[in-house]
Amino acid sequence: MKNGVNAPRLLGYGLGGALVVTGFAGLVVDAHLTDPLGWALWFGGLIVAHDGVLVPLVLLTGVAVGRMRSPSPVRAGLTVAAMLSLLALPMVTGLGRRADNPSLLPLDYGRNLLVVLGLVALGTALAAIAVRLRARRRRG
Amino acid sequence: MVRDSVTRDRVETLLRSVPGRFGSVLHSERVAARLGLWLGISFTVAFATGLFSHFMQHPPGRLAWPSRPVGLYRITQGLHVIGGLATIPLLLAKLWTVYPKLWQWPPFRSLSHAVERGLVLVLVGASLFQSITGLLNISYVYLWPFSFPAAHYWTAYLLYGALIIHVVNEWAKVRRQLWTREQVEPREVVTARRRFLGTVAAASGLTVLFTVGETYAPLSGLALLAPREPHTGPQGLPVNKSAAAAGVTTVIHDPGYRLTVTGAVRTPLSLTYDDLLRLPQHTVRLPIACVEGWSAEAEWSGIRLRDLAALAGIAPDAVLTVESLERGGGYRSSEVRPPHWNDQLTLLALRIGGAPLAPDHGFPVRLIAPNRPGVLQTKWVSKVVAA
Repeated sequence: MKNGVNAPRLLGYGLGGALVVTGFAGLVVDAHLTDPLGWALWFGGLIVAHDGVLVPLVLLTGVAVGRMRSPSPVRAGLTVAAMLSLLALPMVTGLGRRADNPSLLPLDYGRNLLVVLGLVALGTALAAIAVRLRARRRRG
Repeated sequence: MVRDSVTRDRVETLLRSVPGRFGSVLHSERVAARLGLWLGISFTVAFATGLFSHFMQHPPGRLAWPSRPVGLYRITQGLHVIGGLATIPLLLAKLWTVYPKLWQWPPFRSLSHAVERGLVLVLVGASLFQSITGLLNISYVYLWPFSFPAAHYWTAYLLYGALIIHVVNEWAKVRRQLWTREQVEPREVVTARRRFLGTVAAASGLTVLFTVGETYAPLSGLALLAPREPHTGPQGLPVNKSAAAAGVTTVIHDPGYRLTVTGAVRTPLSLTYDDLLRLPQHTVRLPIACVEGWSAEAEWSGIRLRDLAALAGIAPDAVLTVESLERGGGYRSSEVRPPHWNDQLTLLALRIGGAPLAPDHGFPVRLIAPNRPGVLQTKWVSKVVAA
């Protein structure tokens, strides 16, 4: 829209627009399966939860971490830990377990997440020590 | 009136200053371009493998997928699910990077700018929707009123369409940032960017490391955060729908059980379980490859579907429908098109690892075929209809 109109650009808009229209049309045509109102609530709700809750929390954490003496390893460690926790959260809650099928969610996900977070914390601590040592050597 | 306009000016100035208040050097076009490239690749893989899975389950017209390579679906669906999980860190990092743009003021500079932002909203919403509902679905947490496959399928078109338009709009920036060398940047900016991208890549990589063992058995010991363990289940094999959930626990042990072969046949068949055991038995090693991304291999024994078809005098180009004792449910029957049922690896299996099938694995008889989604490996089979 900004850099003038040419053939590849038009082709891209045409193809992309056609796919978007197909998506919305499909959601409406299959309304008995897609439950458009429920779909819209999830669609909008996830945007609001992300932009209005998750990112502000991340920004606040970022400000707090930025005041530390060597923030880089902590920042990296917290980022990795938060992302792996998000991945594990639905399994940790165990909401999907079913009495008739023990092969669903067969592991102790709470314990496993703690193990993973422990490994991330260990890596972070080692990286922080390395940063300090390097700084001291540079000074000395 | 004058004070009103002064206040309005102040508010206006404040609003305009919001995007500039995000202090990190990582809210940059260069970081966004790099992450955007990675995301573009992973969304393309997810869209392609997702469409493949959809059309394998719902083949249009007379389209017949090949039955080989044996493990193709296992790989494409593993890419879809494990790759999809690995995309979540990339997506969250990308959205964080461009977050200041959310607060640009004025929100719309022109009609075309409004349309562009509307499509970005579709892209962001669809990306979050696909990632989060996908994650919840493989964790068996169904907190929504819609059918996951239908919603996930149609939202994929929204995502990919809005993505193509976004790429067209941003391509000049990507090219400038990633393929132009002569940029002079302070060293700490370069270091910060490398650290950040390295962190995101590590989060993605660890996501794969801790989940991929649910489909790649040699790494199953590392699958700490995977919803399945490929050796856990009756007879050492995971189960998707149990006999109890399918409501077949009694009917599968009925001594009057018969496997019937009807429809476009020369000789209709009606076989007891013992009749089936007396037919020539074959053993194959095939994976169950689930749409949810996990897969597990087993040694199956039983009769070749093509031998049964030959016995009933079914034409080689017929389409077979395999029906279950299950009363309802979306997967109580499945179609087996010629390339699959003519394949010598396709069995009506009676045994796993030499022992009769456990009820949860489809006793007395189940279908097992190469390169086919697990939901179409019909269990508790009582009928084969040729058309």
